[in-house]
Amino acid sequence: MLAPALIALAVLAAWPGLWVLWLSLQRRIPVFGIERFVGPSNYAFLATDPRFWNALKVTLIFTFASVGLELLLGVAVALALQGQQRGRRVAVALLLLPWALPSVVTGRMFEWLYHPSAGLLNFLLGGNAINWLGEPALALPALIAADIWRTMPFVALLCYARVLTIAPDIYEAAHVDGAGTVATVRDITLPLLRRVLLIALLFRTLDALRAFDLMFVLTGGGPANTTETLTVYAYRSLFQTLQLGFGAAIGVVVFVLVMLVAWAYLRAMARGEEATA
Amino acid sequence: MSGTITRVTPRVFNVTAAPDFVVRWRRVALLVVVAAVVGGCSGGPAAHEPVTLVFKHAKILGPADPVPGLLREFERRHPGVRVQAESLSWNSDDQHQFFVINLEGRGAAFDVMMLDVVWVAEFARAGWLLDLSPWVTPAELAPHFPSTIEPATWSGGVWAMPWLMNVGILYYRTDLLARHGLQPPKTWEELVDQVERIRGVEHDPRLDGVLWQGRQYEGLTVNALEAIWANGARVFGADGAIFPEEERAAGGLALLRALIVSGVSPSWVTAADEELSRRHFGDGRAIFLRNWPYAMDLFQATGSSVRGRVGIAPLPGRVGGAASAASSGGAHLGVNRRTRHPELAVDLVRFMAGAEAQKVMALGGALNPTRMALYRDPDVVRVHPDFPAIHDLMLHARPRPVTPAYLMVSSTLQPEFSAALVGVKSPRQAIEHARVRLKYLLEGLR
Repeated sequence: MLAPALIALAVLAAWPGLWVLWLSLQRRIPVFGIERFVGPSNYAFLATDPRFWNALKVTLIFTFASVGLELLLGVAVALALQGQQRGRRVAVALLLLPWALPSVVTGRMFEWLYHPSAGLLNFLLGGNAINWLGEPALALPALIAADIWRTMPFVALLCYARVLTIAPDIYEAAHVDGAGTVATVRDITLPLLRRVLLIALLFRTLDALRAFDLMFVLTGGGPANTTETLTVYAYRSLFQTLQLGFGAAIGVVVFVLVMLVAWAYLRAMARGEEATA
Repeated sequence: MSGTITRVTPRVFNVTAAPDFVVRWRRVALLVVVAAVVGGCSGGPAAHEPVTLVFKHAKILGPADPVPGLLREFERRHPGVRVQAESLSWNSDDQHQFFVINLEGRGAAFDVMMLDVVWVAEFARAGWLLDLSPWVTPAELAPHFPSTIEPATWSGGVWAMPWLMNVGILYYRTDLLARHGLQPPKTWEELVDQVERIRGVEHDPRLDGVLWQGRQYEGLTVNALEAIWANGARVFGADGAIFPEEERAAGGLALLRALIVSGVSPSWVTAADEELSRRHFGDGRAIFLRNWPYAMDLFQATGSSVRGRVGIAPLPGRVGGAASAASSGGAHLGVNRRTRHPELAVDLVRFMAGAEAQKVMALGGALNPTRMALYRDPDVVRVHPDFPAIHDLMLHARPRPVTPAYLMVSSTLQPEFSAALVGVKSPRQAIEHARVRLKYLLEGLR
């Protein structure tokens, strides 16, 4: 089973990856007719660039906070669905809605929710003009909340699907043995969810590391770059200001980050397979 | 004129996109080249063949789009020519990305394009625009507002013709100022006094002082530049020095920060764009607003809660600073250097930027022309009574720095300005950091 996976990786990831890597070793600014090989100097600049380190920090905070909370809430929702007797189908359909919305629509919706003077959120909070998207301490949490709303259902549905396949007799046996609800969840449901959670974690982390659209629509990276992720910085460098080599270097960093995380998870999953096998 | 045709015509038939055209119409084409060279200005190489010009422009918002009617008129005057208008998203980032990808890809899928004024120097430097100077003389540009000519004529060429113009304006509530016996403020200091006076008497906690655009995007660059200019500072000195009046530039940012800290502006201006601030003012919830001219029509529309209660004034200056300096904005029309029909494309640009077409645009839409005389034209003034006042504001408007690196400059300035507004950096730190980054950036372009 190794060969097809390797070929697919080579075609889909390695080739464009190598091309971007090559680009990142150049100083290439088409508007000014600049195109020359500069070796690792773009990376050397990144190492001393406070805007880059800030973007890396924002990306990591966004990733850990949103993925962590999504998994927590996703499992909670899956368990709640399991315990629910009626209306499961409606609940699942409603759960799918945020996941199915195009991200630009989600962005616009949250723009309205967070609107300082006419937004629903401030209205519900008693009409205070809380500056959700313009206050450095609030902007990133506000974006994380929007991301959780949008992608928690993905985790919840994955977990719920796994929960459905757990044979009822296991629970009955646990019940007979006198296990309470907490013990059942801790010792039966969660261990059985482990593998599916790892997959959810992998997908969500890789997505979150490349987070772009929410910040692009809602804050433009501001205020004071407190919501500028690596991909937003890369976009600005590549497409807005056409510094192709420099933008590619940021892209390579994102690529390496994503690859490292994927590798770590895949190893963890492989170990999990061995343990269960 | 005939000299320019001999210079241009070879390229017309040598573009790679046209081999079938060349094969099929070689005889006709040769005839036309000969006719063009011998006969001078003959109206383009395809006077007898159906020619399609593609005009890429942003969607013109408003009740009636006057562009299609104008294009039909152009077609009527140029038999055998069809102009196909293709609209782009209204989002400026998307438009820029579209043009960059297509022009860098050496495409000739369009002939005439509508350009944000800040892209003109960039596109000219990249070699994407046809130099119009063989056709368009300085005299032909002279009737346009001075701040539109500077970007159009960057580095000694004529890269585009001014088409639509914008200018930063101070909107104020005439009813509130009149009730307190006040005139529109000449300086920011005066404006702050007026806000405190009016709010002290009105006792309306929902009434904000002055609204502007502080979200981290191009609008922030504009607002911060206006504050910096008003305080007598510039981004680039004549010798290319960056923030030559560093203290005064910091003082400009300090004013904006002080507006937020003192509550004269609500804290959410740091997340506000044009529409967010325009709607809030339009709901009657602020005394002053800095915005572009488009907002006036919306304030005066039926059903608007501030209808008949809004006036316009120049943006305030500073005590001891320079005269007020509003930023100009707007759109120019340029010709793709790879067009197959340069003569016709230039004709279309001159027609659309001409007095007649701009008058139609001004009458039909909510858009402001770049030709000064139209602001005193009785027909236009009947439709837009505020045009004579806007004329004076536009006359004194300043363009944002005219440089091919403008987008790099602006995207470097935005986070620094934003940091000063939200108090993450002191204004002086923000200017210093911006200066260091700009210096590094611009040195890398040499």
